[in-house]
Amino acid sequence: MPSHSRPDDLPAKLSRAIEACGGRLSTGEAKRWEVFAKSSLTRETELIDGRLRRTVQIEESGVGVRIWDGARAGFAAISGLDGSAARSAVAAARAGAAPGPDPMPPQRLLGLTAIPPGPRMPPRGWAQHVTGELAIAIASMSNGSLRLGRTVVQEGHYAWQLCTADDWSADHHRTVASMLVEVLISDRPGIWREWIHIADPESFAAEAVAARIGNRALLTRHRIATDQGLHDLILHPEVSSQLLAAISPLFLACPDDRDPLPGLLGPDGLLSAYALTLVDDRSDPMAPVVGPCDGEGLPARRTLLLEEGAPRHRIANFADARRFDETPRGGAVRLSYRDRPSSGPANLRVLTDDGMAAGELLSASDRALYLLRPLATVTADLGNGTYSLIASGVWLDRQRVRGWHPVVELSGSLGTLLRRIDAVGTDLCWFQTAHGFVGASTLLVRQQPVVG
Amino acid sequence: MTSPSHSSAVFDPAWLDDLADGCRRLPGSHPRFEDLFLERRLEIRVAAGSEVASCRVDGGAARWRFPSRWAIHAATGVSSSAVAELVSRYADRLELPPSPPPAVDLNPPPGWVDWAREIAERTADHNTVIRFLTRRAVVVRRDSWRQVTSPPLVRLESRNIGSTALLAVWGHPRLGDWIRAVFEPPPARGWSPSPGLQTPVIFTEGTAGALLHELVGHLVEGDLIANGRSPLAGLGGANLTEAAIDLTDDPRRTDLPGAFDCDDEGISAKAVTLMRGGRLCGLLCDRETAEVCEVAPGRGRRADWRHPPVPRLSNLVIPAGSASPAAMEADLSHGIVVTRLSGATVDPVSSRTVLRVERGFEIRNGRRRRPLAPLELTGGVTEILAAIDPDVGDDPSPDWRLGWCVKDGLPLPTGSEAPTLMVRRLEVL
Repeated sequence: MPSHSRPDDLPAKLSRAIEACGGRLSTGEAKRWEVFAKSSLTRETELIDGRLRRTVQIEESGVGVRIWDGARAGFAAISGLDGSAARSAVAAARAGAAPGPDPMPPQRLLGLTAIPPGPRMPPRGWAQHVTGELAIAIASMSNGSLRLGRTVVQEGHYAWQLCTADDWSADHHRTVASMLVEVLISDRPGIWREWIHIADPESFAAEAVAARIGNRALLTRHRIATDQGLHDLILHPEVSSQLLAAISPLFLACPDDRDPLPGLLGPDGLLSAYALTLVDDRSDPMAPVVGPCDGEGLPARRTLLLEEGAPRHRIANFADARRFDETPRGGAVRLSYRDRPSSGPANLRVLTDDGMAAGELLSASDRALYLLRPLATVTADLGNGTYSLIASGVWLDRQRVRGWHPVVELSGSLGTLLRRIDAVGTDLCWFQTAHGFVGASTLLVRQQPVVG
Repeated sequence: MTSPSHSSAVFDPAWLDDLADGCRRLPGSHPRFEDLFLERRLEIRVAAGSEVASCRVDGGAARWRFPSRWAIHAATGVSSSAVAELVSRYADRLELPPSPPPAVDLNPPPGWVDWAREIAERTADHNTVIRFLTRRAVVVRRDSWRQVTSPPLVRLESRNIGSTALLAVWGHPRLGDWIRAVFEPPPARGWSPSPGLQTPVIFTEGTAGALLHELVGHLVEGDLIANGRSPLAGLGGANLTEAAIDLTDDPRRTDLPGAFDCDDEGISAKAVTLMRGGRLCGLLCDRETAEVCEVAPGRGRRADWRHPPVPRLSNLVIPAGSASPAAMEADLSHGIVVTRLSGATVDPVSSRTVLRVERGFEIRNGRRRRPLAPLELTGGVTEILAAIDPDVGDDPSPDWRLGWCVKDGLPLPTGSEAPTLMVRRLEVL
């Protein structure tokens, strides 16, 4: 059997690719350039009813090249790390260059933040092992009312290197893991689906994951009950994450004449209640996107976006920061060699230091609608200051479940919703959203109109 | 040997013949070599005020079948050495001649970048991104290979105008009209019907295709049927609607984004009739689920070379009926007409669907009155299907808004063309 790529091989392969690109770029007309090379190895294991159904092993690598020749800028990405990939990437970046300013940050802004080493790649067979443990834990916590159907476990290792014409370089490697879980609910024909970010495979706790899934899924077994009017809302972290993703464009740098944020602020200059503080945290080793620097070499940091309701800083890559007169704070995201660094949060999250335990939040209202999961992407019309949130939830009367509300819509003034956030939970979980990874916790929102 | 002569071949036919010949010698059992998928993709991105970005990605995946499971190994590259390594996971290494450079490389059509840049600059919005997407693939099996060709696509996304998008085949004669429609400002003051209102809804301008994409297309995909996760599982042969609708999934419609001449498992494209006269009669399966569901495969589609083929729909097509859409609206004393949907989902727990209406009008006494504010409609899957009115419009139109279909987090281009349909009762959320 041939030997295949191992995590240990990746740095040397990346270095060779960077050198090959750099050699070609140094002899051309590019005044400034940057090469990003990334390689990853991913194992995906699908099990149905405990039986191994499919294994997928993916080895992917490629380079992305940005150039500026003094008047024109170009970007090209090519899969592969060999000499021909380097040649093609450089040629394509040159061929596609168009008039424009230098998009790359000056060397004086580049730097690295020390990041604790990440976990190791789990051993082979780990996916089957944890799935088996999870199946037992789910059946046990639900007294047989829930059954684990399908899981897709992803374990991966990636490494990247970034190098500039000025001989500045950065590199990073990490192990990542996640799990898609589908649970069958007795007495209901449907399935419950949940995505779990696994920060450290070695500390995976099946009972905790089973509780996270089961506590919500079991609530859908109650009889249907609907209500409307003004009610307290409790947003599960998955619902909160969608809401935060919907408002995340507010924290991107933009031209003043298109900035929707001022129109959403209350008379006190606050976007939300004091309870809410948001950051883009690129230095948290437990978050999904971690590295010593952002996607173009600025040191990784925690950027304060909203502090006790008050807007603070905006996220931008270097080019957008310059264009929109923002201070560059390392807001470039580059998850793949395929993409040029774009403005955006890497790990948008709620700060939960002053939060309450989720259980306390659930008992903080005599009567509330507990929103369990979003049924569609939460939308926010930032220009008009409105939002629409469609979810399923349960009605709670004095901490007792009165019934399941399968489809409920909340809509209205986004500013009012945000300013009525009374408390945040400490139960931070990470979710994938249309606007990247969001770390959210339970939110208690007072007196919102509920319809349908 | 299946060796079609394609003038647009990006893989050398003689090399593929050698490769297929080598694959014939791979193990036929324990594990059995199933297929090798090779793909080249090109994406060009243009945004106002940014450099043009091009991305070329090549990769392949070899698939093996064990008695009770599948194993897939995917890796970057389509060179002889990369391919030889891929197919040698469970066999002796194949000796392949070097793969010659492609006779035709993937490139955007002449003038595309300038065309896209002009649109991007006209919007003057740094959040508007225009993409050109094209791919070529081959599926190599033990005794043959097939080229997979799909039309080049244009995708436009704008987060500035209420986050809207377009997906269309490049060169479609109506592309210019659709782009203009993307940038039409929404009505200044829209009408919002009362939540909880049960009302008739007319789906026109192709939106009925997006509706049936969710209500039928996804729910007859083999994986959902095979494990009982679809509310339509077990309803084969049942009358789902009173309307005598013929619903077909047709990848041969090269004017629609979901087109291909051969699926990603090497099966020639054929139309599959999903409903005939309103009766459920077909399923969409890949090779794996086709065995379970006992139907023909042909809808094994891959998001790209890194992902295994799964059952996915292509282009949903409903032929014209005989009713005039104007007459359908004129017959309505009060209701809603939908001219653009911005999203549709089916909740796997409750089987209820949520439709996001982006544009439309109130109908009162047979005439369009106020434009709608964005709103949501809901109903149970089978209840909505049962409430489709027998009158079918004579105006089949493609939907350009919702073709970028995401399932289990993986996007694929799909298309639809449908005439105006009316659902007698939907609930306003």
